[in-house]
Amino acid sequence: MSRRTKGNFHQTLAPLLFLTPNMLIFGVFIILPAVVGLRLALYEWSILGGGEFVGLANFRRLIGDEMFWITTRNTLIYVLSVVPLLLVSSLGLGALTAKRLRAVAVFRSFYYLPAMLSFVIVAIVWRWILGDELGIVNYMLRQVGMQPVSWLTAPGMARGSVIFATVWMRTGFFMVMFVAGLQAIPDEFYDAAAIDGASPRQTFFRVTLPLLKPTVLVVTVLSTIEAFKAFEIIYVLTGGGPGYATKLMVHNIYELAFEQDRMGYAASNSIVLLIIIGVLTFSQFAVSRGEFTNE
Amino acid sequence: MRHVAFLALIVALLAPGLLFAGGQEEAAGAGAETEESAAEPVELSVLWFNDANESEVFQEAMSDYLEANPNVTLNVQVVPFQDYENKLKLMIAGGDPPDIARVTNNHIAMLYQSMLPLEGNMEGIEELKSSFYDSSLSLATFNGSTVALPTEATANGMLVNKTYFENVGIDIDELSKTWTWEEYVDAMEQAIEGNEQAQFGIAYDYSPHRWSTLLYAAGGRFLNEDETAMNFNTPEAVDTLNFFKRLHDEGLAPKSVWMGSEKPQELFMSGLAVTHIGGSWWINAYASDIENFEWGAVHMPKREMSSSVPGGKFVATFEESANTEAALDVMRAFSQQGPNAHYSANTYNISARTDNADIDYPSRSEDFTVMATDLANTPAYAAEDWKSPELNKIYSYIREQIVEMLIGNQTPEETAQRIHDRGNEFFE
Repeated sequence: MSRRTKGNFHQTLAPLLFLTPNMLIFGVFIILPAVVGLRLALYEWSILGGGEFVGLANFRRLIGDEMFWITTRNTLIYVLSVVPLLLVSSLGLGALTAKRLRAVAVFRSFYYLPAMLSFVIVAIVWRWILGDELGIVNYMLRQVGMQPVSWLTAPGMARGSVIFATVWMRTGFFMVMFVAGLQAIPDEFYDAAAIDGASPRQTFFRVTLPLLKPTVLVVTVLSTIEAFKAFEIIYVLTGGGPGYATKLMVHNIYELAFEQDRMGYAASNSIVLLIIIGVLTFSQFAVSRGEFTNE
Repeated sequence: MRHVAFLALIVALLAPGLLFAGGQEEAAGAGAETEESAAEPVELSVLWFNDANESEVFQEAMSDYLEANPNVTLNVQVVPFQDYENKLKLMIAGGDPPDIARVTNNHIAMLYQSMLPLEGNMEGIEELKSSFYDSSLSLATFNGSTVALPTEATANGMLVNKTYFENVGIDIDELSKTWTWEEYVDAMEQAIEGNEQAQFGIAYDYSPHRWSTLLYAAGGRFLNEDETAMNFNTPEAVDTLNFFKRLHDEGLAPKSVWMGSEKPQELFMSGLAVTHIGGSWWINAYASDIENFEWGAVHMPKREMSSSVPGGKFVATFEESANTEAALDVMRAFSQQGPNAHYSANTYNISARTDNADIDYPSRSEDFTVMATDLANTPAYAAEDWKSPELNKIYSYIREQIVEMLIGNQTPEETAQRIHDRGNEFFE
């Protein structure tokens, strides 16, 4: 048994010192607000009028709050739609653009372009496209004698529209991750599969996909977190409507905090959202952990 | 390697200092500023929102004052209206409110506790107060204190495409002097029938405040008599909700405004909608933007009465503003007859000053007369309802519940009861 050495300055203190500035920023802007938010959730707090300690009353109130359950359900529908669609579309585009072909970089840039736009701009553009009376799509439908579609005014269509707009915008971002993952797979695996007579379909499911699992996990975790936190694109595109058909948890938190001036209750909603995201992320890593151990 | 480690140590030790150095400098600056006398240069931060050209005209109206007081400069920050309330709230909560802010009566209802009362702080306030309409001043008066100075009075009202009505032989100015809800519906149907481009009878602002114009016309209101609880589960409220649903069910109102996110003004300006229920502030925008048809204000149709809803815009300073003394001086100067007349005329707004009742607008004076008449017929409790902080806190909820009714997820009776109950939660 070798004796454990204390290590010299380069091995012990220096790395910590390098990390200190970043840890300070992380502490001040992430940890501290999170702690303050947790404290806030225990208060009945008005943004202008101060607060009163109420313990866990804000969390108990959540159970009977209809809007909390409606927005939670809407958020789950949104996440369960957006994440698989993003995975499939970004993996598909990644597979197409990972090949070393002429001008492929142009296509990659083209697909990545929406990810560079702000959520608000994307939402305004889609509002112009999908508007019932003044939208471009319905205008074209009318021109060819077809009935206009209630893209944003029927609850089901509005949900579909916000999901589509989100996937359209974020596919390019996750595509880049898949391109990197695909290009990291050694050609020898494909050569071996070809020698064994594997079809393209077999190659994809037996070679490519298993080797892409780390990337799939990262994309799943990131897109899940992002989908749970979705706000701007929906707020501008539908305002959470019609009614509250597309109102998500973050939108509800925003209204509670800034319109109803119930900062403490809004903080308790945020804590619940944090727990949901935390549990899901932990589960995704836990499920995937065993599969990576042999790689 | 040893040099790298040494460098890391230096960076780590300096980082907190670098982070907070700026803050110390600012704090020192602020401290020095408070020691300066009033005659020293003062830059006032002004937070503003525009309906059309108000920030520009405000600065024009203040040009004489600024010339006479060269030490004062105005740093006007214009924020889009939809972000305005949150921006202002966060500035106040952060202890850094602007020196002067343009606010609506709804903003005052939410923020009056942080505004600086003018009595005891502004020189000549009692004389100045006497120059405003009582109805305007009352919207800025809480617990006996005036917390803002009215700049303009606003009125909810109806603007119509007169060309469409002329095309079908309807004298809309004459008809609207006495028309009822049913006659209004009938006239809209004729206008749609007789004009190919017209698709809808009414584009209605996506706003509970504007929606309440119908409620007051039906003889209803949101609150009880002493404004201590909701009074919305009433036959009048249900009647109004039913009428509003009918407008949508029969295709007279487009679904895309209340159930989507299209702008009513765009539907009206494009000629798709025959009428627009909005407010007096649209006159300014339409005066410059509509060229291809005749338009104008008409009286609101009656149920029990013909009603409007009073509102207004104001200027205020805050308890924690950095330069309250100079801000009060600018507010007082802006509220004098001359600057107020210039501002009202050039922004097409109804002046809140009684001695500016007959100002010459560049055009459209008759539209203001129509809206002012409706405003005069409006019950006083309409203003009292919208002064309520509790009612303003359920603003989005009211909107959502009305849309849930329009979608068909609940009846008008259920909608009225839900709004009534939610409002009472805040009163309790």
